[in-house]
Amino acid sequence: MNEQEILEKVKPVIADKLGIGEDEITMESHFINDLGADSLGLVDITMALEEEYSMEIPDEEASKLVTVGAMIEYIKNNAK
Amino acid sequence: MKNLDFPSLRIGDLVAPVPIIQGGMGIGISLSGLSSAVASQGGIGVIAAAGIGMCETDFFKNYLQANIRALRNEIRKTQSLTKGILGVNIMVALSNFSDYVTASIQEGIDIIFAGAGLPLNLPTYLSKNSKTKLVPIISSARAAHVLITRWQERYHYTADAIVLEGPQAGGHLGFKIDQINNPSYQLDQLLPEVLKAVSLLESKYNKKIPVIAAGGIYNGKDIKKYLSMGASGVQMATRFVATEECDASNDFKQAYLMAEKKDVVIIKSPVGLPGRAIQNKFLFDVSEGQKKPFSCPYHCISTCDPNTTPYCIASALTHAKKGQFKHGFAFAGSNVWRINQMVSVDELIKTLRKEFEDASH
Ligand SMILES: Cc1cc2nc3c(=O)[nH]c(=O)nc-3n(C[C@H](O)[C@H](O)[C@H](O)COP(=O)(O)O)c2cc1C
Repeated sequence: MNEQEILEKVKPVIADKLGIGEDEITMESHFINDLGADSLGLVDITMALEEEYSMEIPDEEASKLVTVGAMIEYIKNNAK
Repeated sequence: MKNLDFPSLRIGDLVAPVPIIQGGMGIGISLSGLSSAVASQGGIGVIAAAGIGMCETDFFKNYLQANIRALRNEIRKTQSLTKGILGVNIMVALSNFSDYVTASIQEGIDIIFAGAGLPLNLPTYLSKNSKTKLVPIISSARAAHVLITRWQERYHYTADAIVLEGPQAGGHLGFKIDQINNPSYQLDQLLPEVLKAVSLLESKYNKKIPVIAAGGIYNGKDIKKYLSMGASGVQMATRFVATEECDASNDFKQAYLMAEKKDVVIIKSPVGLPGRAIQNKFLFDVSEGQKKPFSCPYHCISTCDPNTTPYCIASALTHAKKGQFKHGFAFAGSNVWRINQMVSVDELIKTLRKEFEDASH
């Protein structure tokens, strides 16, 4: 899967967890600054994506995935 | 005859005959004196870890060691004073959260209460033989759901209970400023939501997760109300400050007795959360911008930036504990103004029990 395909798949998950519109979400979006996520929202998203892609994101890694693009890059390299 | 007395509070194999947890109060307010008194009366007494090393002589030189040493000593002292159930309250925002947790478990504390942040990896500190129960403090059904699910899925650990702290509590609040007085975010609204979220998880994981209500609970009638709504117990803090056994100075307690309704204010704490406190000149000067950023030797809170923060909260609360209000201020719950006399913990619990029974008729 390429980045664009992953983006289309994660958009509804992020939109649902943060209660925002899918059209607000781009590769460049910063979860906290642009999408209004709080720490709880970030964990919620991480958990949903871990399940969807059968992977585990360690806490130290998760704290570095601050943009949608970084999250997608991680999924690309680690999804099973 | 109907049994009108307090029901006991069960957390795993621990049974407290009085369903009241004395909320942990940081920077020296709840230590061995208060917590042992509450535990001996059948409630759950809680030592607060935040700032516990401030009376050690090497506090500024060896910040971490001084705190851990003081915490261990305080736990041992409290355990020697009572056979009742004891907890430690550890704020997740404390920079050395993990060291406090490890030390508390090694000392065999019964329960760890962790709030002011999400204690995502708390179960990883337990070892095979540790009996310590883990209880997160949260402020929404969403947080309850996310945290319980996370612990279960990643660590196969079911939270032993959760404390739901509403926006009328004292100290740091897990709410945005505009939510604090919004009717939809009050404890009465949040409790049913949290109970519903938790009961779904209870059936999914086949384990009981008691929900404890906190924040603004004042008398036995309030306790009756929240237990009738489905809470297994309550956590109360503000009322325990005006007791003889409370570890704060007499001047701190006097500030509670003298506070009027108009004195209870919401502040923006350096921790990055709003907080509820008693207004005084120190806080007034802060709000007028008369305090300046400071130099910080130890960075005690991970979310605090001394370059932009107008005052050091650890220092302000340490002064307050000692009664030096020129350099500090007291945290308090929204009902502090209703307290007008000092009692013993025994008398307070007797009064709450009587009010509870009267409300049960
Ligand atoms: C002086 C003071 C200090 C507090 N310190 C802490 C703390 O260190 N950690 C924490 O989790 N809660 C802290 N709290 C919150 C209490 O544990 C409790 O949950 C809350 O105040 C309950 O509301 P009530 O005071 O209206 O009963 C503090 C409260 C007060 C009044």
